[in-house]
Amino acid sequence: MSESIHPAVCSAQPSQRADKNPDAPLFEGAYKERFDHILSRYPNKRAALLPVLNMAQELRGWLSPATITRVAELLELTPDYVRSVASFYTMFQLRPVGRHLIQVCIGIGCDLCGAEEVVEDLLEATGTRIGETSRDGKYTVVEVECLGACGFPTVVQVNDKVYENVKPEDVEGLMKELD
Amino acid sequence: MAYPHAHPREARVLSKHFGEKDAIPIDGWIERGGYKALDKALAASPDDITQIVKDSGLRGRGGAGFPTGLKWSFMPKDGGKPNYLACNADESEPGTFKDREIMRWTPHQLIEGCIISSYAIRAKHAYIYIRGEFVDVVRILNQAVVEAYERGYLGKNIKGSGYDLDLTVHLGAGAYIAGEETGLLNSLEGRRAEPRIKPPFPAQRGAFGMPTTVNNVETLAAVPHIVLNGADWYRQWGTSKSPGTKLFSCCGHLQRPGNYEVPLDFNLRDLVFDLCGGPPKGRQLLALIPGGSSVPIMTADEIDCDVSYEGIEAAGSMLGSGGLIAMDDSTCMVRAVRRMVEFYAHESCGQCTNCREGTSWLAKILRRIERGQGREEDLPLLLDIGANMAGKTICPLSDSAAVPVVSAIQKFGREFEAHIQDGRCTAVN
Amino acid sequence: MNETSPVLNVTIDGIQVSVPKGATILEAAERVGVVIPRYCYHPGLSAPAVCRMCLVEVDGAPKPLPSCVQQVQDGMVVHTASAEARKARRAAVEFLLVNHPLDCPICDAAGQCELQDYAFETGQLRTRNIEPKAVLGRDKLTPDILYFADRCVLCTRCVRFMDEIAQEPVLQVIQRGHKGYIDTMTDELFEHPFSMNIVDVCPVGALVNEDFLFKPRAWDLDQTPSICPGCSQGCNVLLGTKENRVLRAKPRPNNEVNSYWMCDHGRQALVNWGAGDRIEVPMIRESGRLAPTDWPQALAALSRTLEARPAGARAIVSAGASNESLYIARKLADKVGFKGGVFRVETGPEAGLPGFPKLRLRAERAPNVRGAELLGFRRSADVLEAIRGHKGVLIVLEDALIDAPEDFGVELEMFIYVGTHMSPAARRADIILPSTTFAEAEGSFTNVEGRVQRFAQALHPPGLARPLWLTGSTALAGLGAGAVYRTAAAAFDALVGEFGEFQGLSYAKLGLGGASVAEAESSAANVS
Repeated sequence: MSESIHPAVCSAQPSQRADKNPDAPLFEGAYKERFDHILSRYPNKRAALLPVLNMAQELRGWLSPATITRVAELLELTPDYVRSVASFYTMFQLRPVGRHLIQVCIGIGCDLCGAEEVVEDLLEATGTRIGETSRDGKYTVVEVECLGACGFPTVVQVNDKVYENVKPEDVEGLMKELD
Repeated sequence: MAYPHAHPREARVLSKHFGEKDAIPIDGWIERGGYKALDKALAASPDDITQIVKDSGLRGRGGAGFPTGLKWSFMPKDGGKPNYLACNADESEPGTFKDREIMRWTPHQLIEGCIISSYAIRAKHAYIYIRGEFVDVVRILNQAVVEAYERGYLGKNIKGSGYDLDLTVHLGAGAYIAGEETGLLNSLEGRRAEPRIKPPFPAQRGAFGMPTTVNNVETLAAVPHIVLNGADWYRQWGTSKSPGTKLFSCCGHLQRPGNYEVPLDFNLRDLVFDLCGGPPKGRQLLALIPGGSSVPIMTADEIDCDVSYEGIEAAGSMLGSGGLIAMDDSTCMVRAVRRMVEFYAHESCGQCTNCREGTSWLAKILRRIERGQGREEDLPLLLDIGANMAGKTICPLSDSAAVPVVSAIQKFGREFEAHIQDGRCTAVN
Repeated sequence: MNETSPVLNVTIDGIQVSVPKGATILEAAERVGVVIPRYCYHPGLSAPAVCRMCLVEVDGAPKPLPSCVQQVQDGMVVHTASAEARKARRAAVEFLLVNHPLDCPICDAAGQCELQDYAFETGQLRTRNIEPKAVLGRDKLTPDILYFADRCVLCTRCVRFMDEIAQEPVLQVIQRGHKGYIDTMTDELFEHPFSMNIVDVCPVGALVNEDFLFKPRAWDLDQTPSICPGCSQGCNVLLGTKENRVLRAKPRPNNEVNSYWMCDHGRQALVNWGAGDRIEVPMIRESGRLAPTDWPQALAALSRTLEARPAGARAIVSAGASNESLYIARKLADKVGFKGGVFRVETGPEAGLPGFPKLRLRAERAPNVRGAELLGFRRSADVLEAIRGHKGVLIVLEDALIDAPEDFGVELEMFIYVGTHMSPAARRADIILPSTTFAEAEGSFTNVEGRVQRFAQALHPPGLARPLWLTGSTALAGLGAGAVYRTAAAAFDALVGEFGEFQGLSYAKLGLGGASVAEAESSAANVS
């Protein structure tokens, strides 16, 4: 991501992408600019924590202890505190995940309409169990609570892309798209 | 007929332009009358705007139904501290997906609402706290915010009025409880989204310790229409206690799921059977949840009521967020309730004992019953656990988790008993 | 009552009480002796109101209210034992037990566990829960503290202690909901000079002191109020003793000195305090050899020594001795002609507690420096040098003189050693009087701020060891110099009459909380 982002929306950039690099620097170039923009929108540094963790995850794919420590340093917080906050939110990955993080909604709306079968088919297609990353590092399939699109079941989110009305028969096509 | 299943019986105020791609960019929105209300608002005084909203009877659409104008009037006017507006776009109540569609199709409707409301409460900075999972919607909203800045609707001296407002979009990271207003404030401040003890209320001590108003997306989106057309115009719909229109997110076993906007005196049965087309062919409606998974389940024969706050309450449930979940006769009630309770167990912040332990205990018992290892004494036990969870915690999540269990056992006790006796679900056919 | 009055009236379980504005229901209840059960509330910490144990019924309130944060309003009528309040409390305990391992037989907290107490009190002898329990395991947090996550009730007292009082927020709640537990960022152990307070504040057996683990059961311990002798702060403590040994010390609340806290140094110093080979009988030198004797013989020898001696008496005392014993040491020296006395103080690094700045681990690692000074003894880095050349009587009180040269005391006319432990130098004394540690006799210390505080007897002294205030005063009384002080109170009250700095104090007045010499001075000044 090289283009400049308006300061008003720097705190709201989707964080799960396929092109993650666990060793990416925190933060340089356009990301440093985004970091400064984020800080400019709040009366204190602590408030920038969620957006900055998001940005770190966008770059590195997950929040390693080293990442957490670095973010803590940048925001003048303790690493213990940052870990506590990060572990509260389900979208922060505290373990590495596959290149494609496949999240299947099993909320009541999707469950009533057959989400279970979609999950089963995705696990079969990726050869994994829930939460496990495939051997080639490509896929991690997880069940997630309501994604807030209950009228369009089953909802599947792959990294930062949402698929609505996914039926078991759509799984094959979805997997092709990811390859 | 447009957006997926528009219906002539709807009263489409907020959702009028759902489905129109051209309404998303700012030019398209202005062509459709956008930002006229803002011009009108900036020419009036903040207190006049608050008065119009008070007169309109608009009530918070996030679930609690608190009168919006009254909430605004709690904000200090002396300017001693900065006031904030926090827009609650952390829509996470299972069965609810209306705010998502407002932001997806009409982001400028929300932004205009945010500006007018900020002006009314004398805020210089507004935050839209949007749930982290809304990855596609946030791109649309972000684009719209940038456009609004570029056109001078945000920033310094908005449209020459002398009023300054910054707006920041803030992404959540996966926590239902961040949708509770004080949980939202903690999350916005970079903390765990644990709800705060009230008092102090947000209008006294909110974001960053400053006076703050927290309003839902749908509430704020209604504000420009009310300001532009007046309180009486808004009151042409609904009842005296529940004026206006409301979006209903309809999901589950329906022929035409989706969002429908109806006046608040609309009939609930008509909404389900006429607008949504009722359950799939060959199926009977078994149960209905009218306001998101936190409100009591209704039986099919309880739903002949109007959808106002008081109408649904009289029928034994609550309007809540307007997330309508329909279940037909193929539904295993034990499973459905278990699934809803698991949600709350997953989302409990864990501060309060009753909620942290109660939600997971309920889920374990329901899982066991579903597996066919239920015991007769489980039903009174579930009811008593539910009673011990209700009204005893800092925030209402604990109550919410107990509601589906208690109401389902009260109304669908036979399904539970049969499941326990037979060791499996006999309802599914 | 008019509106400006700061006093509010509230009825707790039918008892009327007036409290200042801002008081919580829980505080108001304590004023009338009603203790509302609580887990997350701790008087020394902020109140998050999360355990939901202290819910009470309030007339007119739609639901039970958390008494730890709910402020009293005028005319409020509170029921802490109504059916609703009891049901709420019962529910909270039941919920806490749902995932609790119920491993009381192997839990260190058994017998001093608030979860156990309230489970019993609410009559929950059987569980309604048949589901498998969550297993979270255990972790080591500091070199001395273990965390049993399965027993944890997530009251967050430990988190708040580290955050608010230690102000090093290393402990945090990790995860959320029923998966939550307490942890630090890394697997490395953290160290903090006041870390052990997190064990004290834990209302259950989640945080335990590894050093104490599996040693005694809580109910086997005798508890005695005392003062920590680890430094000159004078933390108020409770000594836990069993089989005549100190096995642990816990802070005893005193808002003037240590609040609810104490340091790890003091606790560790206190365990087995005074251990080692003790002097158990008096000894006197006869024809060049030390021989054991009884008290009448020893005191007779002492009396003979106290007859006029032109070279006078010098003393080496200890800042670990009580005011009362120091006073008698002084009187013994006076009887001969006091030529000055010294004491030395071991020092070590200081450590502070930012959330309660009054409390510090003081550099001076002795409890009664101020008392020794007020009684006319002088602090000296080299006590041996200070008495060099003295040819008269030397009285040594509780300083083992471990650095003394082999020929120590050859010039002395008479060498009286009063102590607990033997040493090569002590063996050169003419009279040896076995004395007691602070744990073995009552008495008082004067802390760094001039606060005089009493400690009670927690242990039996070994053999014939007795405090100097008893033995020394007996010898003096035989010579017509004062009475026999059979209690520390008598000795202290006599001391007050002789040393103006202590004016206005009395042993009874010190009570359990102590009183300050400075205060005594100013109040005496006010009277005159």
